[in-house]
Amino acid sequence: MKPKLVLGIFSIVLFTSLLMYNFGNSISTYVNFEQAETRSSSHVVGVWDSSQEYGFSRETMQFSFYMKDEDGDVRRVVYPRPKPNNFEQATQLVVIGEMRNNVFHANDMLMKCPSKYNDMSEIEFSSAEGN
Amino acid sequence: MMGTLGNVFLAGSFVAALFALITYAISAYREDKKIESISHKLWVTKGVFLLIASGILIYLTMTHQFQYYYVWNYTSLDLETQYLFSAFYGGQEGSFMLWVICSFIVGLGLIKWTRKPYRAPVMFVMTLTQVFLLSMVVGWDIFGINIGASPFRTIAQEMPNAPFIQANPDFVPNDGSGLNDLLKSPWMMIHPPIIFVGFAMMTVPFAFAIASLWTKTYHDWIKPALPWTLAANLCLLTAIFLGGYWAYETLSFGGYWAWDPVENASLVPWLIGTAGIHAMIIQRKSARAHKAAIFLAILAYIGIVYQTFLTRSGVLADQSVHSFVDLGLYGQLLLFILVMTFMGIGFYLYRYKDLPSPEKESTILSREFMTFTGSMLLLILGLVIILGTSSPVLGRLFVDNPTPPEMAFYNQWSMPIVIIMALFTVLGQHLFWKRYTWESLAGVLTIPLILTSIASVLSIVLGDVRSIYYMVFIFAAWFAVIGNAAVIVDLMKRKPKLIGGALNHIGFGVLLLGILASSVYTESLLDERTANYNQRIAQGDVYDEEGFPVTTPREMFEMELNSPKLINEKWMVTYEGYELSDSPRAGQQTYRLKFEPIDGGRTFYMNPEVYPMLTTSTMDNIEWSVDPHVRTGWTSDIYLYVAGSKYVQQENERVAAMGEMQPAVDQEDDKQTVEINKGETAEAGEFSFTFQEFLPAEENQLPDDTQIGIRSLIRVEHVPSGEAYEVEPLFAVYTEEGRSFTYAPTLEIERWSLKVQFTSVLPESDSIELTVEGLSQSFEEDWILVVAEIKPFVSVVWLGTFLLMGGFSVSLLRHWSREKKTGENS
Repeated sequence: MKPKLVLGIFSIVLFTSLLMYNFGNSISTYVNFEQAETRSSSHVVGVWDSSQEYGFSRETMQFSFYMKDEDGDVRRVVYPRPKPNNFEQATQLVVIGEMRNNVFHANDMLMKCPSKYNDMSEIEFSSAEGN
Repeated sequence: MMGTLGNVFLAGSFVAALFALITYAISAYREDKKIESISHKLWVTKGVFLLIASGILIYLTMTHQFQYYYVWNYTSLDLETQYLFSAFYGGQEGSFMLWVICSFIVGLGLIKWTRKPYRAPVMFVMTLTQVFLLSMVVGWDIFGINIGASPFRTIAQEMPNAPFIQANPDFVPNDGSGLNDLLKSPWMMIHPPIIFVGFAMMTVPFAFAIASLWTKTYHDWIKPALPWTLAANLCLLTAIFLGGYWAYETLSFGGYWAWDPVENASLVPWLIGTAGIHAMIIQRKSARAHKAAIFLAILAYIGIVYQTFLTRSGVLADQSVHSFVDLGLYGQLLLFILVMTFMGIGFYLYRYKDLPSPEKESTILSREFMTFTGSMLLLILGLVIILGTSSPVLGRLFVDNPTPPEMAFYNQWSMPIVIIMALFTVLGQHLFWKRYTWESLAGVLTIPLILTSIASVLSIVLGDVRSIYYMVFIFAAWFAVIGNAAVIVDLMKRKPKLIGGALNHIGFGVLLLGILASSVYTESLLDERTANYNQRIAQGDVYDEEGFPVTTPREMFEMELNSPKLINEKWMVTYEGYELSDSPRAGQQTYRLKFEPIDGGRTFYMNPEVYPMLTTSTMDNIEWSVDPHVRTGWTSDIYLYVAGSKYVQQENERVAAMGEMQPAVDQEDDKQTVEINKGETAEAGEFSFTFQEFLPAEENQLPDDTQIGIRSLIRVEHVPSGEAYEVEPLFAVYTEEGRSFTYAPTLEIERWSLKVQFTSVLPESDSIELTVEGLSQSFEEDWILVVAEIKPFVSVVWLGTFLLMGGFSVSLLRHWSREKKTGENS
């Protein structure tokens, strides 16, 4: 009975620590562009800077735009896929990738959209205003 | 006002639930029949009030009363009736109501079928969950504390500070903001009701577990609880399947599963529920594992509440594509989960010493041990996924501002667990029906093992599997399929009604095979150029303009109108243009791509669609959404969508120009004259013009009184594409009222919107002058960007899911009919 219990506790502890260790490694923290420069892969949160040029280039097959991080730094972001759906609507962007020479090379991108699930106070009644 | 009426009925329903809670508690405590029947009446009253409130909400939606925020926010005038109806549960508030309605109906079943001594305590727990859920929608404001958010609040109540409300408090919008196009799918219409029926039924084992702790009757509760748990699992599985199928068919992320928190929210309760079913089955068969069965029944429901908390409190807002709005319910949801956890786990620990434990350990080669192992493995898998989903909360142990874990975290942990599970299913199923020693078990398993080896080797060779890990996975999955099939063959001869379990375990093996094939062996469809480019990226030979190596391969290719490309050395693909239509969605383009297999198979077409999302588009910005085309096949699916096209680009430019309030096109005169000697070529813009010879003009083409009339044969070539046309513009000089005029009709080459005019003849140099218009607009061929994948054996994933559904159904029918018989006898 006793050795079994010890074995059981031992394997539970081993499993849990392994799991937590791996979990800790597989999550990362959100950073700004400046911090991203020294990291190999980072998640940066920000908003699209719509005052500058953006778009998909058929020559380089990349979508590029400027993004302002939470500290107000603006950097160019390139993304090797077509412009995602809902890009312009996003109230917040998360780009995942690597900073190289002041350009952020994103290999993944998440958009937080106001669409259905947010408070509507910011959204205008564009079709209703004419009432 | 209908809305006030709705609020009254919601409040009535909530109050009735509160009273029912008290009376059920009293009747459970005193075992008083009279009070119990009053409680049942309160339960019914609560349900009827809620149904009326829901009816009012549906009525408001159907009659487009946009002064109500909920109606405005989720519907619009042009919405089809079925989607108007489903908008009822399209938002957070309505979905809570649907959940309560489902539990109400489940409660009616419980009142009818549950026997003493469980009925009152079970209904007490059911009512307690209802009180919490109803409190999310009552929308009371007591001493400045908001309780819930009512679906009947008006726009004026929702945003009292908005300028248009300040100007006119009775403002009613003309039209609603509409339902998200992605949700306009029949799959999405039936998905929420099924999931809430599943959630509601999963409350039942929880309620029975609490009732058994309450009444200290630890043996009998599983008999009525087991069929409910099986039914709950069947519903959750169906809902998971529908969600996955919808994601695969309508979203552009290219798969049926993405470990999204909302997907996990239905998977985890399913896994823990299945773990609970295993424990209940041991308890039923062998009067063991009471502790595990009660614990898992409690945990499955806590799992549901916890995942509800994660997806609806706003904690996950940054992480999930479809988490709900934060309605300010954080505190209430937190209280809900804390009460459920403390009541469940606390009561369990309080009674722990009292719970029966087995007198002696079961040996490894026993059905108890094997089934229990299966249960624990399912629980562990569930806990791993909960850990991953909880990263915004638990990740803080490691970093300040945690991101969600990489998908690899889920994959790396689930793979070894499911491999062990798959191997154990076979041992477990064999031992479940017969006693074996190691020797006799080995004897029985010889033939399945040989067949498994053959199947695995064939899969590995035909599928060109290189990874040893995947080979082990394939072996385990085939073993689950073939080993359990052997059990079925044996059972069919003796007791065909009992095949449910074995069928489930076959389904599990099939599902694993399908998942591996369709996820790991998915291949992008690419043209030769892109494929070569990717090969060079893989070798590290590609650098970007700043000299850094490019590491991400391209997963898309471009097609030009009518120029075929060889794709994956398998198909000749031709883009044949697109069609615009306003049905079913305004402004939708259906693109047509012809696939001709080069080995001579049958030609087929893919028709992906792109459409503007009207609900979120604005005047100066169209938001486009893609609808992929999936060509389903037995051995592989082709998944394809158009990620960009000339049409979409032009529309965007047009709308952007309108938004900037500029004249649409600069009316710059881009006429240009070109002089060409006979037999020579002149270039202008992207075009070359070759003056080949003079041709005589035909009499009937000329005006009256023509003095000179001549045509020239001009070959116009678009230099970049090498395409060429021949035109024969006319030049004439005629007299009218004694004066000379020239006549030079414009010829248009429509394809390039190029206008050519023969404006002069210069006899001295034997040359002509052409006036060309439209050169500066450089001509662009119609093009599309295609993202496509070939996914092997997605059909097998669905097959596995169907087998699981079938297995659960067989078990459900068996346990249900057995339970009904006991009910009638007692």
